[in-house]
Amino acid sequence: MIWENTKLAFASMKANKMRTLLSLLGIIIGVGAVVAILTLGNSATESITDSISAGGLEMVSIFPVSGQKSSETFDEQFCETLKSEINGIDFVLPMNTSNANFRNQQETTTAQLAGVPSNYAELMNYDAESGEFFSQEDNIFKRQVCVLGADVAEELFPDGNAVGQYISIFRTQAKSYQVVGVMESKDAMLSVAFDNYVYVPYNTYTQRFRKVSMVGTYVVRTADGEDPIAIGDSITSYLDSLVGSDSYNLFSPATLAEMAQSITGTFSTFLAAIAAISLVVGGIGIMNIMLVSVSERTREIGVRKALGATNSDIMGQFITEAIALTLVGGFLGIILGTGISVAVTNLVSWTLHISYSSYIIAVGFSMVIGLFFGWYPARKAAKLDPIESLNYE
Amino acid sequence: MASDSVIEAVDVRKYYIVGDYLVKALDGVDVDIRKGEFVSIMGPSGSGKSTLMNLIGCLDRPTSGILKIDGTDTSDFSERDLAYLRNEKIGFVFQQFNLLGKLNALENVMTPLLYARVSPKERRELATEALERVGLADRMKHKPNELSGGQKQRVAIARALVNNPSLILADEPTGALDTKTGNQIMELFEQLNSEGRTIVLVTHNRELGMACSRQILIRDGKLEK
Repeated sequence: MIWENTKLAFASMKANKMRTLLSLLGIIIGVGAVVAILTLGNSATESITDSISAGGLEMVSIFPVSGQKSSETFDEQFCETLKSEINGIDFVLPMNTSNANFRNQQETTTAQLAGVPSNYAELMNYDAESGEFFSQEDNIFKRQVCVLGADVAEELFPDGNAVGQYISIFRTQAKSYQVVGVMESKDAMLSVAFDNYVYVPYNTYTQRFRKVSMVGTYVVRTADGEDPIAIGDSITSYLDSLVGSDSYNLFSPATLAEMAQSITGTFSTFLAAIAAISLVVGGIGIMNIMLVSVSERTREIGVRKALGATNSDIMGQFITEAIALTLVGGFLGIILGTGISVAVTNLVSWTLHISYSSYIIAVGFSMVIGLFFGWYPARKAAKLDPIESLNYE
Repeated sequence: MASDSVIEAVDVRKYYIVGDYLVKALDGVDVDIRKGEFVSIMGPSGSGKSTLMNLIGCLDRPTSGILKIDGTDTSDFSERDLAYLRNEKIGFVFQQFNLLGKLNALENVMTPLLYARVSPKERRELATEALERVGLADRMKHKPNELSGGQKQRVAIARALVNNPSLILADEPTGALDTKTGNQIMELFEQLNSEGRTIVLVTHNRELGMACSRQILIRDGKLEK
């Protein structure tokens, strides 16, 4: 019976294609909007977390803020202190950075100058493309050597062969540094664009460029399998009690990613809920067209009753038709919503993350709408008097 | 009365209230139609002819009196029971054919079997048989709008036959047809009657009514003796 009713439903849709399409427009747009919003919300969340986590969700950065307490606390030895105080830390590296200008003969560029320990490259999984990263000796003896990030090397040495050459670094005055290595290209972490850095030994930097012992940045890597958010929280409470919350800033991609996820998630759920209201409007369109259909087919209903259809048979026929209508609307809406999502993600170059749950929600919701708004017209059809409907012109 | 009565009506009344008036559409009618009869119900419009037909067709219940279809009293039947009874006992043939426009001939004939919950395979077999019986074996896949008036009425007759009903109830079956086609349809009814089918023909056409083996005349809600 369901199969026959479904066939009938599609036959009646086919008989009035334009009318069917127009009456379905509300459902199509409503479902399309819900699907598009949830899919775009999904894609936005993924693309934001992707960019946040590009440099590794396991990293936490601490930026001391100048002040008496900070100057007393945040020295190079604090790396070891922090590591022993907080469980789950793989390593802590000190890092000082500043803007500087660089020159090799006619080529000049502006980039970040970073003073880092000699084990920086190894710990950050950052390999040299040619030459090698400077050594511990270079650091101890505060040698004037440097290592170039990939982009800087490209700027200053378009023809390659940088290793062994000398470049000038301008801060307050020009100083000559020997290039000992060029690093391979590495994806940027949110606060560090590796390729646009020039690395010099930490001690060299402190002596030549900084002249204070306070560390600019602590780069913390949490150990594998540890929760970076929890460790970020322990570091925060430890530092708060030690120097107060005004003396430093802490930056944790994991925390940021979680926050972004929850914000975009809430936002897209909220928007989808608003869009769902349009489904109710679409349902009224369905009810309208079903009422028209029932009154047009009064005679058919009379004939069916004469042939032995019970009220429930007629009710089933029209309920099936209403549900079939809304399901068709739901499927068209899914196509529309997915199409919009594909177009928008292409336009803003996000990766498309289709929300399959939105498909299920959309189809389920359409069926409920069909059932709800089809009920009254179907009941009206079922209750028609057979004699009157047979004589209906 | 004998058990071979298909329709047995005793003092059947049907009253309507229209505005402030009580309309006595049927005012004490006794009818007995036996199995295998070919009976016409005749009368002018407004005579109560249609009301009697609706009662016999189980589309309605009498206000009072006893109405038995195949020995079953319908007086206290629910709407659902009446629908089952129509499906099982009555085959309708209408003046305007009343075929379902979106369905082809075969599907139209299969419809009563659908409501009888007959399996799809058996539906198809029985409907094909019925269409062959009325001489439309080559028109099974045609939609009503692709058929002539006479062909449409044959499809309708096949649809009335397909459930093997106790009674075929035909309401002015030739009213929308030209004389020649009308005569062919009457011949078909006569053939079906000779095969043992009980047929009740409702008409205001005297000539047609007289062609049946027995006439029931009705005027002002009462039978004319």
